[in-house]
Amino acid sequence: MKQMKLFLGPQHPGMHGNASVHLFVDGDIIKRSYLLPGMLHRGFEKAMERKLWVNNISLIPRVCVPEPDINEMAYAQGVEKLLKLEVPERAHWIRMIMLELARISAHLMSYGGLGGPTGHYTLMYHAHADRNSILDIFEKISGARVYHQYIVIGGVRQDLPKGIEKDINAFLDDLESRYIEYRDLGIENPSVVARIKDTIMLPEEVVWELGVTGIGMRSAVGKPYDLRKVMPYARYDQVEFEVPTSTYSDARSRVDIKLKELVQSISIIRQCLKKMPEGPVRVKPSRGQSMRWTVPKGYVYSPVESSRGEFGYYMVSDGGTNPYRIGVRGASYPQGLLGIEKYMPGTRIDDCALWVDTMGICSPEIDR
Amino acid sequence: MTNSMSNIEFVNTLVNKHVKPLVTDIIDQFQVGYVVDQNEIHLLLSALKNEGWIQMSYLSAVDWPEENKFEVVYVIFNWDKPVYIQLRTKIDRTNPSMDSIIQIYPGAKYYERECHEFFGIAFPGNPDYEKQLILEQWDDIPPLRKDFDPQAYSDRKFPQRTYTEDYSVTNNEPSKAEKRKLRKQRAESLKGGKKQ
Repeated sequence: MKQMKLFLGPQHPGMHGNASVHLFVDGDIIKRSYLLPGMLHRGFEKAMERKLWVNNISLIPRVCVPEPDINEMAYAQGVEKLLKLEVPERAHWIRMIMLELARISAHLMSYGGLGGPTGHYTLMYHAHADRNSILDIFEKISGARVYHQYIVIGGVRQDLPKGIEKDINAFLDDLESRYIEYRDLGIENPSVVARIKDTIMLPEEVVWELGVTGIGMRSAVGKPYDLRKVMPYARYDQVEFEVPTSTYSDARSRVDIKLKELVQSISIIRQCLKKMPEGPVRVKPSRGQSMRWTVPKGYVYSPVESSRGEFGYYMVSDGGTNPYRIGVRGASYPQGLLGIEKYMPGTRIDDCALWVDTMGICSPEIDR
Repeated sequence: MTNSMSNIEFVNTLVNKHVKPLVTDIIDQFQVGYVVDQNEIHLLLSALKNEGWIQMSYLSAVDWPEENKFEVVYVIFNWDKPVYIQLRTKIDRTNPSMDSIIQIYPGAKYYERECHEFFGIAFPGNPDYEKQLILEQWDDIPPLRKDFDPQAYSDRKFPQRTYTEDYSVTNNEPSKAEKRKLRKQRAESLKGGKKQ
């Protein structure tokens, strides 16, 4: 039979964002496939070299659109490592609250995204409604809904507003009470399970070959390989949480882990709110100049655990007021490019959208 | 803390067993960087992979035009002994070429492709490092080199337009003082009684 070329994306219910998967299909079996990035390339790595260290705070959240806070954290952490700057105790805890709220919102968005390829839009509406409540909390804390620019070099921009604990707790209680409902809507729902069970497998050796991290890796390897546990940053060593894993990685088990992580994030935020000390939240990175300060020479790689895997910034300073080079390691780089090229052939057309969703492929961070 | 410090020592002895690093810099308890010779990268990477550094996190380059060098950077990670290892090596800037590492880390394929696109470094051994990935029909020097000027590029690529009509905004509104005068006149004209 003749091979046909199909485009999945950029406009497709199962493809979130500005990349396109080119599929060469025979019937509905994929024979050859590759990702075509570049539709959202904004030249951020070059732009960052031309700005001051502190100016880049407004640029970096745009690197990954669905989950901007990890960018701020990775960048701030890296610069603090170069400066040998000690962040106030309270700032660490506020950062953790922000990061975990961001993780919940990213997981909800991607769980809702499962509604696209499986044709189950109720899930999407519910998930986005809940994500909206998180955005309301973010707005109260930082004044912005999506790009907060709240985690800055030396701490956080300002202290939490009064009474925000009540809002956060109310939201967490609400989300927890509907957790069972969420499971029933998605991964326990027979019509969805038929689509996601035993499809697009990810065996362990493929994980190591591609270099997949995050949920993709933990669902296949069965070990708690989470940067928050393995090399704790902020104050993740002082809170108790579990890292859900499995040894059988199909689309369903990956989504299942995502939901279990949601529960862990809820518990982390509650612990943070309880253990958080009082005190200052920000130290100045330098004395004198408020913006044109310099950073000592050095090379540093600053990783954080995002909702999709290890996300890192590689930073080089030559001792000047601007960064010399900043490189971004997108969490979905391996599974998005090499994964689609190597492991999509042999599966069906509709499985491709599920791979893109359950592996959390985020095209803005591939493009930068 | 003690455990992770001993991890760094473990890495140090391991690396020194295989090669003589030119520079060692310990960044913190989870990260260490080495500068090694270009010919020793493959040997060291495969030795470290056998010892458990199975994840390749990042591959990129840094441009140093004053020294006429490119610095290629490899970042690898071991999940059981949590230490990030940065391996850096300087290669010549004219006709830069670095043998591919996809035989050791297959995941490096696209990183090398991107590195070629943004720095112009050749990676012989990688079957399609020369293919276009992100930049469509690029017609200038690779953009992340330091001598590439984005401002000059955009001025050349997108020249200033000349407009036949004048679209500049002009303000025909009367000034505040004039408005006040007009208001006063109108109020006078509306006054009843005998006009003088």
